[in-house]
Amino acid sequence: MIAIAAESLSKTYTTGLVRKQRINALIDFSLHVEAGQIFGLLGPNGAGKTTFIKTLLSLVHPTSGKVHVLETRLPNTRIRSRIGYLPENHRFPGYLTGEQVLLYFGQLSGVGRSDVKSRITPLLELVGMSQWRRMKVRRYSKGMMQRIGLAQALINDPEVIFLDEPTDGVDPVGRKEIRDILQNLKRQGKTIFLNSHLLSEVELISDRVAILDKGRLLTTGTVDELTAGGYQYQIGIEGTLADTVRNEASAMVMNIQVNGNTLSAELKTTAELNRLIDLLRRNNIPITSIIKKRDTLEDSFINLIKREVAS
Amino acid sequence: MKILVLILYTFRELLSRATLVVLAGISTLVIALTMLSISMSESSEGVTLQMFGNPISPPLPADAVGEFVRTSQVGLSKGLFIGIIFLGVFATAGIVPATLRKGTIDLYLSKPLGRWELLLGKCLGAIAVMFVNVLYFIGAIWLTYGVKVGVWNSGFLFSSFSITFVFACLYSLIAFLAVLSRGSPIPIIGAFLYLFVIGGLLESREQVLYLISENTLYRSLIDGLYYVMPQISAMQAGITNQIMETSINWKPFVQSILSAGLFFGVGVAVLSRRDF
Repeated sequence: MIAIAAESLSKTYTTGLVRKQRINALIDFSLHVEAGQIFGLLGPNGAGKTTFIKTLLSLVHPTSGKVHVLETRLPNTRIRSRIGYLPENHRFPGYLTGEQVLLYFGQLSGVGRSDVKSRITPLLELVGMSQWRRMKVRRYSKGMMQRIGLAQALINDPEVIFLDEPTDGVDPVGRKEIRDILQNLKRQGKTIFLNSHLLSEVELISDRVAILDKGRLLTTGTVDELTAGGYQYQIGIEGTLADTVRNEASAMVMNIQVNGNTLSAELKTTAELNRLIDLLRRNNIPITSIIKKRDTLEDSFINLIKREVAS
Repeated sequence: MKILVLILYTFRELLSRATLVVLAGISTLVIALTMLSISMSESSEGVTLQMFGNPISPPLPADAVGEFVRTSQVGLSKGLFIGIIFLGVFATAGIVPATLRKGTIDLYLSKPLGRWELLLGKCLGAIAVMFVNVLYFIGAIWLTYGVKVGVWNSGFLFSSFSITFVFACLYSLIAFLAVLSRGSPIPIIGAFLYLFVIGGLLESREQVLYLISENTLYRSLIDGLYYVMPQISAMQAGITNQIMETSINWKPFVQSILSAGLFFGVGVAVLSRRDF
């Protein structure tokens, strides 16, 4: 089942009263997200990520194109009872406590008061906020606001969850906890649409990733697909590498660097790796370790954006 | 159901604001003073109403006491009206802009809630708070006069609905300006400007604004504007008649509810088209 589908979506903002300026936030943007996946949306600032999420929630009206969520054409108010959303920099009414926030927004989600009440305690436990349930949210730290915001997004037991920078302001331990919660939600069959600038996090949990820039979709695929193409190997050796061996290795491999007892090489095939190992063994250089290093999502992202800028 | 939730939480939100506490405090003070001070003495010449033991009326025949009480209730309701408008506008004008703030509106609109429902719920919440305040004041004064003087003026009690109705009509204008500006200064300035300048000018347009030009189009526009806006002064006169238990001209009330519907409708239309 396709949980989210955007077809040729475009959004143009017009600013200024006299000298009107047009800003293309999304240009002919098409994307499909399968149900039950964690999908990461990446892009530099101003790429159109938040506009896209807001279009999926009908907070922003598209200039053209079609959007479907859970196979329902938008705009549709009722479908939002099956959606959860954690906006970036959200503000809850400061006069409410954490549990009152959940009760309020739970009821607005269309869940009965008694059902919402029964969900509050387990949700507060899940996000680690039980201790502060009776504290006014105006006294919450940024990290606590994120946690209660996540609980709010889950209060109606949604099928699709949109999270805009969910770990913003959360400490590393808290980030790990949130990642675990998201993995657990995925196991329950929920679809999670994640917008985060923390690429390492997206890489850790996303099944599929899309990269957009200046309103255009640059690429989409699994993390493995996006980071494929060229492996870096780090080979640990004993002693130093003689210049002759080094020159021979350089002739054999495209890119090789020696740093103390470590030899870093960018290789395209396993055959190249074996040839390099043979060379070292022939010259009686003991090998202490071989570590395969893949491109990170961040490397791929930066390369892609650089290529886009260059073109 | 969801509108009811919005009303209840808007009610709570307003109760957490100091302005309403001040309004309730002033009401309590006036109620307490009225309760403690009003008394009645009977003599062979008639009934005399007293305040802190001092006569505030000449000896009245028994059937004229009601008239005297109704007149003093008109005075109290006018005082309340001004208090409600002043403090009520200040207390509630920020409700809609606070809802439309970035980070808050996203939360509301991600719920299965129509934009019109959101605006309606917030407006009704603000109006409900004012109704409770008005009913508290009017009800307590009505009870005091009933118990202490024996005049049970139902017109005065029911004026709590009329005063709230006037506030609701004015609030539609406030909500409309709040949707347009997304801040509270313009709705507050707009409401007071209408109440104290524009409303009066339109009310006396034939004596004032007609003098500027004899142009038919100009005068039609002025007339049109008069009928589009809520008829605050005319409704206030209607409330006086209601308390005095004389016949009421309902036309300004009907006209004002249509005007309120228009402002609310345009406000919803603007809100529905907006990107957040």
